[in-house]
Amino acid sequence: MSSRFGVFSSSVGTKILIGVTGVALFLYLVIHIAGNLIVFLGPAAFNRYAFVMEYGNPLLPVIEIGLLLIFLLHVYKAVTMFLANQQARPVAYVKKKYAGKPSRKSFASSTMIFSGLWLLFFIIIHVKAFRFSPEYPWPAGGRDLYRQEMENFVSPLTAGFYVLSMVVVGSHLWHGIASAFQSMGADHPKWTPRLLTTGKVIAVLMAGGFIVIALWAHFVGART
Amino acid sequence: MRLKLKIWRQAGPGTAGRLVDYAADHVSPDMSFLEMLDVVNEGLVKQGHDAIAFDSDCREGICGMCGLVVNGIPHGPDRGTTVCQLHMRRFRDGDTIVIEPWRARAFPVVKDLVVDRSALDRIITAGGYVSVNCGGAPDGNAIPIAKEVSETAMDSAACIGCGACVAACKNASAHLFMSAKISHLSLLPQGQIERYRRVVAMIEQADAEGFGSCSNEGECEAVCPKEIPISNIARMTREYFRALWVGGR
Amino acid sequence: MSPTKLDSNVPAGPIAEKWDRHRFEMKLVNPANKRKYTIIVVGTGLAGASAAASLGELGYNVLNFCIQDSPRRAHSIAAQGGINAAKNYQNDGDSVYRLFYDTVKGGDYRSREANVYRLAQLSVNIIDQCVAQGVPFARDYGGLLDNRSFGGAQVSRTFYARGQTGQQLLLGAYQSLMRQVHKGTVRLFARREMLDLVLVEGRARGIVCRNLVTGEIERYAAHAVILATGGYGTVYYLSTNAVNSNVTASWRAAKRGALFANPCFTQIHPTCIPVTGDHQSKLTLMSESLRNDGRVWVPKKKGDTRPPDQIPEDERDYYLERKYPSFGNLVPRDVASRNAKQMADEGRGVGETGLAVYLDFQDAIQRLGIDVIREKYGNLFHMYKKIADEDAYKVPMRIYPAIHYTMGGLWVDYNLMTNVPGLHVLGEANFSDHGANRLGASALMQGLADGYFVIPYTIGHYLAGSTMLKVTSEHDAFKESANCVQKNINRLLSVKGNRGIREIHRELGRIMWDNVGMSRTEQSLRTALAQIPKLRGEFWQSVSVPGTDDNLNQSLEYAGRVADYLEFAELLTLDALHRRESCGGHFREESQTADGEALRDDEHYSYVAAWEFTGVGREPVLHKEPLVFEEVHPTQRSYK
Repeated sequence: MSSRFGVFSSSVGTKILIGVTGVALFLYLVIHIAGNLIVFLGPAAFNRYAFVMEYGNPLLPVIEIGLLLIFLLHVYKAVTMFLANQQARPVAYVKKKYAGKPSRKSFASSTMIFSGLWLLFFIIIHVKAFRFSPEYPWPAGGRDLYRQEMENFVSPLTAGFYVLSMVVVGSHLWHGIASAFQSMGADHPKWTPRLLTTGKVIAVLMAGGFIVIALWAHFVGART
Repeated sequence: MRLKLKIWRQAGPGTAGRLVDYAADHVSPDMSFLEMLDVVNEGLVKQGHDAIAFDSDCREGICGMCGLVVNGIPHGPDRGTTVCQLHMRRFRDGDTIVIEPWRARAFPVVKDLVVDRSALDRIITAGGYVSVNCGGAPDGNAIPIAKEVSETAMDSAACIGCGACVAACKNASAHLFMSAKISHLSLLPQGQIERYRRVVAMIEQADAEGFGSCSNEGECEAVCPKEIPISNIARMTREYFRALWVGGR
Repeated sequence: MSPTKLDSNVPAGPIAEKWDRHRFEMKLVNPANKRKYTIIVVGTGLAGASAAASLGELGYNVLNFCIQDSPRRAHSIAAQGGINAAKNYQNDGDSVYRLFYDTVKGGDYRSREANVYRLAQLSVNIIDQCVAQGVPFARDYGGLLDNRSFGGAQVSRTFYARGQTGQQLLLGAYQSLMRQVHKGTVRLFARREMLDLVLVEGRARGIVCRNLVTGEIERYAAHAVILATGGYGTVYYLSTNAVNSNVTASWRAAKRGALFANPCFTQIHPTCIPVTGDHQSKLTLMSESLRNDGRVWVPKKKGDTRPPDQIPEDERDYYLERKYPSFGNLVPRDVASRNAKQMADEGRGVGETGLAVYLDFQDAIQRLGIDVIREKYGNLFHMYKKIADEDAYKVPMRIYPAIHYTMGGLWVDYNLMTNVPGLHVLGEANFSDHGANRLGASALMQGLADGYFVIPYTIGHYLAGSTMLKVTSEHDAFKESANCVQKNINRLLSVKGNRGIREIHRELGRIMWDNVGMSRTEQSLRTALAQIPKLRGEFWQSVSVPGTDDNLNQSLEYAGRVADYLEFAELLTLDALHRRESCGGHFREESQTADGEALRDDEHYSYVAAWEFTGVGREPVLHKEPLVFEEVHPTQRSYK
């Protein structure tokens, strides 16, 4: 019998891990967008928020490292699972079609690995831009994150890249939110159908929210 | 009806296969899909050509022996139907139909459309049973079982072991198949004693056989002739977690 | 050998004590010695899987064979209705004795009383065993096992798991079997077809089979051989059997000297979906329960082709209600089937082929409401829609009888052993417990009783009481047998004619159905006896078996089975010809009452007819086992 930690190497254990880390990353994203929306309240509020997050929080390094580990685990497990799954069907079908309802298969579900890898690439750029780039000080303390963000979105190329990436986030979440719960074994005759719908609504809202911020920054914020 | 068929022909497990064109010119809408193939085969046999090999037995949708991927969907376009119960009235005159075998590393092709599904048997062998010897069973009514529990167990037990779930899954995963058996037995009081050992052993065996993992798409449920839902897979996950972290040690 | 009286080895004593007493008197194999005995079990249906599992549990070294890719696919899986057991859970007066009585009577007094009594006794243990395995039988709201009633019984004693009882029971047995495979007591050989029985010093010591994947001819030696290879319904080409069901294993054993008993006892099921054309490969049965609410009718006028809803009430003939006022649409299977055929013969059949009668639910829908009908029969109506493409809620179903089960089989004694020492036969493959007609929900019961509760004891008795040579598969008898098998295969491959195997099988089926079907006459049987050898000759002249024998060759497999049917059909017909009485599924038009009911002739035919093979096309020798009824006294059935 497997050891208690053998759970993580089996096909089912891998699923559980991807699910749990996925939910954790999703929760982080919820906090992230909530914070980002403060940008609409102006530089003072936004930079104050950034200050509290960065300096008022002694646990920040722990959280950052934790988040990084969760992220890496999610990526590692998903990539290795994808590779293993590729092995499971060495000869492809000549013709393969969507099987119809109640299959949950979608463009989003079929491209999880690609949307995921895109996001990996995006996050590297994104973190570099906001976490490891020159900063402007903000008189009331901390940095002028507001200005940093607006400057980031001046370029239509960057803005476009962000918008596109947020569409990819939406796609990943479109399948990912409900899928994560299924992966963790959460299922209920009444709640699962609702979760499936809610997951898609949240995915759209989330992607939409980030996109609005990016577009606003590009067209409005950066010019004022 | 006249149909164009593109059928996968493969001499054996080690050899390469390809799609071969056949014409089916006298197809009656009342034929089942396999009867249509019987007629094609009868023509081939009379001319001394090798018949197209495909598996079937009961031809009423319960033995699980038949299984063809018809135009990209295991068991064809109808919900809750094995390919032996699919009728030709579902197709139109002049249609082209592509017929392929189940494809998975764990299901090597034996010949043409026939595959080896003994991996599924080995998953059951690993633990898909209740260990009771013949002779010592208590009275059938000794353990009352709530009707709802019994019905839910029956829903899962209805699996016919055809392997369509594996064939449909983009990862060639056997999760629906084994979760159905795990659910059936873990729901019933009779299955409790070996509950944890069973789930771990069956999952280990499936992984060793080379089946893939589950991406929660539910293509398996959509092609399952018995419409077994993927809620079984969620239940299996819970059982597995419980086995290794809560009750199983 | 010359005709003999067969000894059934039924133990002495009162019927209720025979089995207990016998179990005590039987010899036992020491637990430590069991693993030294190898037992071959051919077949993995209810009888085969339960036998292999139980023998494995006891510690025997078991080799288990099946023709499908997995033991779980055996045709027992298709049984819908249920399994009888004398549990009396419903408190409605059931008992072992009543089940015994109903089965003997239902079998039209052509079964062996002692066997049937044992079957009724064991029925109770079967349910317990299956429940313990986790078979999800239907339950009531209190959590206890539910029962329903079935034809031929006035009590509710049928246990069921939706419409998939056979499947669930088989999976229970299969799982027990796989548990033994895991433990190493049973070795499984899938995709193998038994093609010969090997005798050494007159005892069954092994089999020769073909590996259907590699084509290799394989030899397996053992101390005893158990056949659980099912019935021979597909001799009629169309039947409710699986397309791979065949008589080959039984027939090859018969050719090696095992007696074949009562082959003419075949059962026809009245409510099947009718044939649509030559392409038809099998028939699908719908549960007989439909007759509880459906009314059977045909137009009064011959050749009336109007759609059913345009035939007014007074131009319809509800012939079962007319002829059998007290049982009406619920007459037994054979009576319902024969009447349907009669209507078709009179030219009053319906549908395109004229080979169908209506089963109409309009009255029941009006009386009970469509929801009640949907709840009761929804799955059957759905199945009918799928196959026949008609909505039975709106138009009457078309039904027609089809071959469903064969009561005949290899002759066995009380220990389920044939006249060949060491060769045991279980389930539908033997002739034993159903007489001339099987009651609904009794086939599952017999298969499991034989496998779980009879053979584990009786095989030990045989092994412990026999001194056997040490034999391996290198013994000359095995080589000789493998040679025969290979020769037969070469012969099939070398004909290289231009007729399809299926075409010849279909023709055989037509001969059998028309002449040896629901209703038989001296003349029809003689016609068949003239046609079968002719067709057999044509087969060997003109059949086309493409491909080679060194890989999966389904044409070759099929041809071998049809070749055996072409021999066996003759025996079946001969048996039907010799039995000049009507009983159960065997209806001879010469032997009927004034109102057309089956008329038994107890004075002359109260025996089991066991036939000894003497060569293809040669007259077999008839051996008789007289049937003695000490408990249930034969009476004429009446369903008026």
